[in-house]
Amino acid sequence: MNIVDLLNLLVAAVLLAGVYAAMSVGMTIIYGVLKIVNLAHAGFLMLGAYFVYELYNRLHIDPLLGVVLAFPVFFCIGVALHWLLIRRIPRSDQPTLSSLLLLFGLWLVLQNLGYLIWGNSDRAILTHRTFSTFQIGPIIFPTIRLVVFAAALVSLAGLEFVLHRTWFGRTVRALMQNSDAGRIAGINVERTAQTAFGIGIAFAGTAGALLAMMYSFTPDFGGSFLLRAFVIIVLGGLESFAGVAIGALILALVETFSILIIPSGYQPAISFSLLVLALVILPNGVAGLWNKRQRWT
Amino acid sequence: MNHTPPSSKHSIPSLAKSAPPLLLLAILALIPLATPGPNTIRLLFVSLVWVTASVAWNILGGFAGQVSFGFAVFYGLGAYTTAMSLNAGIDRLTSLVLAAIVAIIASLLIGLPTFRLRGPYFAIATIGVSEAVRVVMTNLSFTGGASGYRIAEKGAFNQHLHFYMALGLAAAAVAISILVRYSKFGLALIAIHEDEDAASDLGVNPYGTKLLAHALAAALTAAAGGVYAGYSAFVHPSGVFGFDISVAILLMPIIGGVGTIWGPVIGAVVYGLVQEELIASFPQFHLLLYGALLILIILFEPGGVLGLLHRSFHYLRARRRIAVHS
Repeated sequence: MNIVDLLNLLVAAVLLAGVYAAMSVGMTIIYGVLKIVNLAHAGFLMLGAYFVYELYNRLHIDPLLGVVLAFPVFFCIGVALHWLLIRRIPRSDQPTLSSLLLLFGLWLVLQNLGYLIWGNSDRAILTHRTFSTFQIGPIIFPTIRLVVFAAALVSLAGLEFVLHRTWFGRTVRALMQNSDAGRIAGINVERTAQTAFGIGIAFAGTAGALLAMMYSFTPDFGGSFLLRAFVIIVLGGLESFAGVAIGALILALVETFSILIIPSGYQPAISFSLLVLALVILPNGVAGLWNKRQRWT
Repeated sequence: MNHTPPSSKHSIPSLAKSAPPLLLLAILALIPLATPGPNTIRLLFVSLVWVTASVAWNILGGFAGQVSFGFAVFYGLGAYTTAMSLNAGIDRLTSLVLAAIVAIIASLLIGLPTFRLRGPYFAIATIGVSEAVRVVMTNLSFTGGASGYRIAEKGAFNQHLHFYMALGLAAAAVAISILVRYSKFGLALIAIHEDEDAASDLGVNPYGTKLLAHALAAALTAAAGGVYAGYSAFVHPSGVFGFDISVAILLMPIIGGVGTIWGPVIGAVVYGLVQEELIASFPQFHLLLYGALLILIILFEPGGVLGLLHRSFHYLRARRRIAVHS
């Protein structure tokens, strides 16, 4: 193992982390504002993938444009679902059983709708970018991963801007901290929750579209990513956006470098092991560690 | 303080109340004597295996409110342990006990880290566990890996023996569920479901109680998996560890009536019969249907089938009373 291989792995890990962050951030928004663990996240990742696939195959729309289109479409789907289902379950400061099961049911419906429509064969989006690479010195960059990484960064920067520079962003952050106090301060909780749910679903769909450019997919596509997203937000302390970035980086590094020691068949067990480790060692996530240090100083 | 006698609601049901279930058990036990076709017995056998798993899940998920998406882990471990013990020449009952022990150890490994925290951690972690265990079993060479594991049958296949094992196990599971529900342990579980802080203040140890319920449910589920493996004589990682097994075990009690004694039984029978009809013609459609059903149940009738029956019964009685008075 020489230094070049190590650098290549490091680059691969960082590129992966960008996508992971974009994939998990939707779950964090929804958890933060509505205190719901969005198990249907996996279903929307899958739908995002097929959305871009269909646009590319039928209408020959470039997958990158497809990703951009996915955001508003999935935002509308999210808002509609909130109106149809989510607002009917009682609100709580803790994730409730009924919300968990409701979204699990939604996941089952989406996944099996996927099977009904597209069957269970593997699909992939192949463009001229898929297999091209370029080199800087000895380090190889796969073009598609770089493109996906850039798209993920743009969407995260957009979210960061909305959260910290707009009135809506302030209401979202207020509700994440204390929904009762937010209500007293005059925030329309219902409206904010609806928009937040829409944004969460929009991020899920967009991330699914991005992942579809890198991996092949079936209607079962989202399942393994759902667990990864959950590991990331637990590592990040559930409600912190900076935590999501750190969690994504940790998971991507562990997954990428574990190839060196763990046989590839056992790879899917890694995210779970990391989750257990995170729960035992850092119940409040990496961000909790950070907050604790701030409190001490 | 006076020791007040337990109210009728919290005591073990009287003889009159326990007569219908015992009658049902007797009828089921006599069915093979009427010599129905092997297909009917197979259907009953499968339903009884589901009843065991469903009732087991309900002890943890219904009474204590700890939803697990990973009971296929115990079902599969039970199936594999039984299969390997049978091949090693151990008798059927002992191999079921071994299966239960393996599952209890697994339940502790899952529960020890995840029950320390509240909220969704346990539920999500169980999704990960079942995924990880299936992957490991697919790659493990001494269990046959992805190609599965076969039990070498000794002697002739006796379908009635398997049927009675499933019936005995299901009856035991329901009996355990009743005993748990009306014991101090069951009250502690319900207290945890209602309000964990309050339960803790009243002297319940939520961590230990949840672990115990998890272990009990795991042992029963493993025995169900073991009985099934003994019948099919072949176990396969994506069969017994499949996510759809976890989904089924979760859905049955919720369809029937989560947190009740008989709801999970009803749910399992409904699920078993409907699935048999649907899975052959529409392999994916039944999960779509169950997903939709789950959404409807959560939104409109959290009590499931039992809740619906209860409500319509009260509605009819109220109607009759109005009719009498007018």
